[in-house]
Amino acid sequence: MEYPAEQLKTSRQQLITLFTTGLNVKSFPEENTALIDQYFQDSLQESLVGRALHQQGIPYAFVAMGGYGRRELCLHSDIDIILLFGKKVPLQAKTLMQEILFPLWDLGLDLGYGTRTIKDCLSIAKIDFEVLTSLLDARFIDGEYPLYLDLIEKLYKKVLSKKSHALRLWLIEKDKKRLDTFGDSSYLLEPNLKEGIGGLRDYHHMLWLAKASVGPRETHDQAFRARLSYQEYQDLRQHVSFLLNIRNHLHLLSHRRNDRLTFEYQAEIAQRLGLRDQKKSLAAEQFNSLVHATMAALKSLSRSFTAGLFLTTKKGRNIKQIRQISQGLTVDKGELGFDAARAILKNPSLLIAIFEYSARLGYPLSLEARRLVREFLYLVDDSFRQSKTIVGSFETILTQSSHTFETLSQMIDVGFLDSFIPEFGRIRNRVEFDAYHIFPVGIHSLYTVKYLKELSGADHELLHDLFVEISHPERLLWAGLFHDIGKSKGNHAHSGAAITNTILKRFGYDKDGIQDICFLVRYHLLLAETATRRDLNDEKVIVQCARIIGSVELLKMLYLLTWADSRATGPKAWNDWIANLIRDLVFKILHILERGELATRDASRKVEHIKSEVRKHIVPGTQENDLEASFERMPSRYLLNTSPQEIVRHLGMAIRLKAMMQARETQLEGNAGEDIFIFETRKDKVGNCWEITIVAKDRPGLFANIAGVLALNTINILSADIYTWRDGTAVDVLRTANPLDDLFVKEKWAKVQEELANVLTGSLSLESSIGNKETHRHSAGFKKLLRVPDVVVDNESSDFFTIIEVYSNDHVLLLYRITHALFDLGLDIHSARIATKVDQVVDVFYVRDLEGQKIEDDERVKEIKRTLLKQLKHL
Amino acid sequence: MKKEDLILVNITKPDIVSNDKAYRKNRKGVKIMKKIEAIIKPFKLEEVKDGLSRMGVKGMTVTEVKGFGRQRGHKEVYRGAEYQVDFVPKVKIEVVMDSKLVPQAIALIQEKARTGKIGDGKIFVIPVEEVVRIRTGETGKEAI
Repeated sequence: MEYPAEQLKTSRQQLITLFTTGLNVKSFPEENTALIDQYFQDSLQESLVGRALHQQGIPYAFVAMGGYGRRELCLHSDIDIILLFGKKVPLQAKTLMQEILFPLWDLGLDLGYGTRTIKDCLSIAKIDFEVLTSLLDARFIDGEYPLYLDLIEKLYKKVLSKKSHALRLWLIEKDKKRLDTFGDSSYLLEPNLKEGIGGLRDYHHMLWLAKASVGPRETHDQAFRARLSYQEYQDLRQHVSFLLNIRNHLHLLSHRRNDRLTFEYQAEIAQRLGLRDQKKSLAAEQFNSLVHATMAALKSLSRSFTAGLFLTTKKGRNIKQIRQISQGLTVDKGELGFDAARAILKNPSLLIAIFEYSARLGYPLSLEARRLVREFLYLVDDSFRQSKTIVGSFETILTQSSHTFETLSQMIDVGFLDSFIPEFGRIRNRVEFDAYHIFPVGIHSLYTVKYLKELSGADHELLHDLFVEISHPERLLWAGLFHDIGKSKGNHAHSGAAITNTILKRFGYDKDGIQDICFLVRYHLLLAETATRRDLNDEKVIVQCARIIGSVELLKMLYLLTWADSRATGPKAWNDWIANLIRDLVFKILHILERGELATRDASRKVEHIKSEVRKHIVPGTQENDLEASFERMPSRYLLNTSPQEIVRHLGMAIRLKAMMQARETQLEGNAGEDIFIFETRKDKVGNCWEITIVAKDRPGLFANIAGVLALNTINILSADIYTWRDGTAVDVLRTANPLDDLFVKEKWAKVQEELANVLTGSLSLESSIGNKETHRHSAGFKKLLRVPDVVVDNESSDFFTIIEVYSNDHVLLLYRITHALFDLGLDIHSARIATKVDQVVDVFYVRDLEGQKIEDDERVKEIKRTLLKQLKHL
Repeated sequence: MKKEDLILVNITKPDIVSNDKAYRKNRKGVKIMKKIEAIIKPFKLEEVKDGLSRMGVKGMTVTEVKGFGRQRGHKEVYRGAEYQVDFVPKVKIEVVMDSKLVPQAIALIQEKARTGKIGDGKIFVIPVEEVVRIRTGETGKEAI
């Protein structure tokens, strides 16, 4: 018995080597099957038991079952056979089996076997459809051929003729179970080649149904040909052979029977198929796209094939109920069809009309109608794609129907969507090679649309409200369909917007619509990226987003698109955690937009203008990057309200400050630089008053100290702008109310500087010096009460700061008193605007506590008011 | 300058837990390991992760978490409906390492995750008794 086994071992090894080196890749399963067949035939030739049986006149046959019967043996596939006898299983059967099968086990093959009579087979097949389907694949290997034929004849006559309907139901049930198990998202990127949706099993089901519907002597090719067009049949063979080939690679790489195409093997198999990494996509991504396209096509074929079978059976029993629903279109038992193929030729718009009805009525296209659409796709030419009516019909499908998803899926299935929007065809089967995206791009886009449409229902309260409020939901839906259309290009949001623009222009879409849709595509990642990668407590971040988005309407649409897109990406892209972050961001942007201070179109334009002016003033080439980084550090209000010349000046002062601080650090002596500040004064040309600019490292109480020193020198502050840059640089610009004595002005400023330095280092106490001053002022008895002082604490207007507004009469000590009180209250002044009208002061402070939080506690708010009012009354 | 937001660093000192098994192992000169658990702001994750990788940390566990400390959630009202955020989204990083590396890792996380504002997070250091790599059965530092 050694010889056939040895031969099998050698030839099998050769076959594997050929396969590994990339030769004979397509025919492996068949050649592998042939080798096993050969082994059985050779062994039987030499078998003593076999000869004995023959001599005793006991007929027997070796019959291949299942995958072996179908000639689909991959490297580690099970080999199922039965040893078939006529009426009785003789005693020698066991010996024969052992003789033939043991060497195969020794070779490490996986065997399943049974010894049965024809009667056994039939009675099991009647109750166990697994056995029945396995018998449908039966193939004669060796022994007595008539015995095999007898089995098959009886199988058809006695079992199949009675059970074919039950078998169909059973297969449908199996399909449902498969959908439950393998329709799960995790299988979409790591498909099961056999049992998965669109896997080999779909082909098997078609095969069994085909066989069950024809006689035993017809080949299954003939069975298929009755239901599939020539092209469809060719496609089917190609898909199956492709999947078998991959499956074989998978077996080879994983060294076992494995049908799940997991990530670890995808890249390697892609290489083996000759796919190479390219700029636009990795080899593994191209491979995944191929696998997915194949499985999707197989699924589609199997669905229409099965549906077709059922239709014919029903037709026989029911009376025809064809109903005309419009010129050229009919409904027949809940399926849409064309009146006649010729009608499409005359009127190509029927091609979209049938989908429009499908979307409106929720009826699918009949198998025949699908075939016709496919055949007539060549009618979808440039003029079809540009026709306003056609585009209008498509938009109706997108927006008006509650069956949008199903209709668009059908359009993809028959290739209509690819023809109508060729750009979509390019990304449809693209698969992202990561664990994040669970769908290929095409289906993902459809799901995005589906989720958006479901928003008009009520499940998600806020999202629902927003959806109902937007005035152009159709723009959002278009954006949902197109948001990933740039996926094959580098920056997909960016290029997607350009592609979308091309498509919509071709459609003759209105200008505003195009603008909005392209915007949504262009920025569909903005919210998700900002929410996870930027500091949402930084006002500037929010203002920048608000400026990009520009309007509440677009914000709402962008939020909804972000939600639907993330949800359609997969469970890892959307969860409660990220939902919270994004909602937080959206509310903050909404508040900025609604307030209209920092993010109006005018504001954005003005800031851009200011920036470009500043760029001109800086010596070219020296510090461009530094400059952009500096812009990033400047608060939104500063950039909006400061002139370019001033910004340039402040930048210069900030650089000098930094240099001085660094010099102090290297000296390693004295204090850490508390007394370092840059101080500049200049005379206002118009008002004959002075402007003081102080740039220093920010610290709580800094402004109180400045105000105090100025008060000490009886310099009244008329107005002031106080800003803190993000790197902790304080920029304070103050304008004096009263002209100074021109003679001693230099000395005066020198004194102010010196005193400020002393106050900052702590060697001069402001409180006591001012105390003296105050008594002095009081004795002058100069006081008039024009209005009742008032303090307003506003927590509504900003998400980032508590805004304190102070109304009071002017007084030289006023600013010092207020800012000092704020310091005592533990508040940090981020920015402030001080203004005086006649004798009336309106001061606005943007403050936070020392931890950077707004002051929202009612008690604290009351305390602030009380303290400040007390200070005001004392003046 | 703002008053520094305190980041609590809880380091369990070996002399306090002298009954601790890990500590006794320690004394015999057997390897000791710590687990660092850091709760940080989500947008700081990349920086911290990169920093730790550069330090030579080979693996970490990252979890999206929600909670509150002194930084509380807040409420939004839109069209009359209230949207309450009780818990603030954060990221939790867990890393087990040789205890010698711990001070360096703490400094690094503190540097990378700090914004100076409330809600910057906390770092916890916890003694680890044993680590076993499931696949090979290796234990101790080898298994980290």
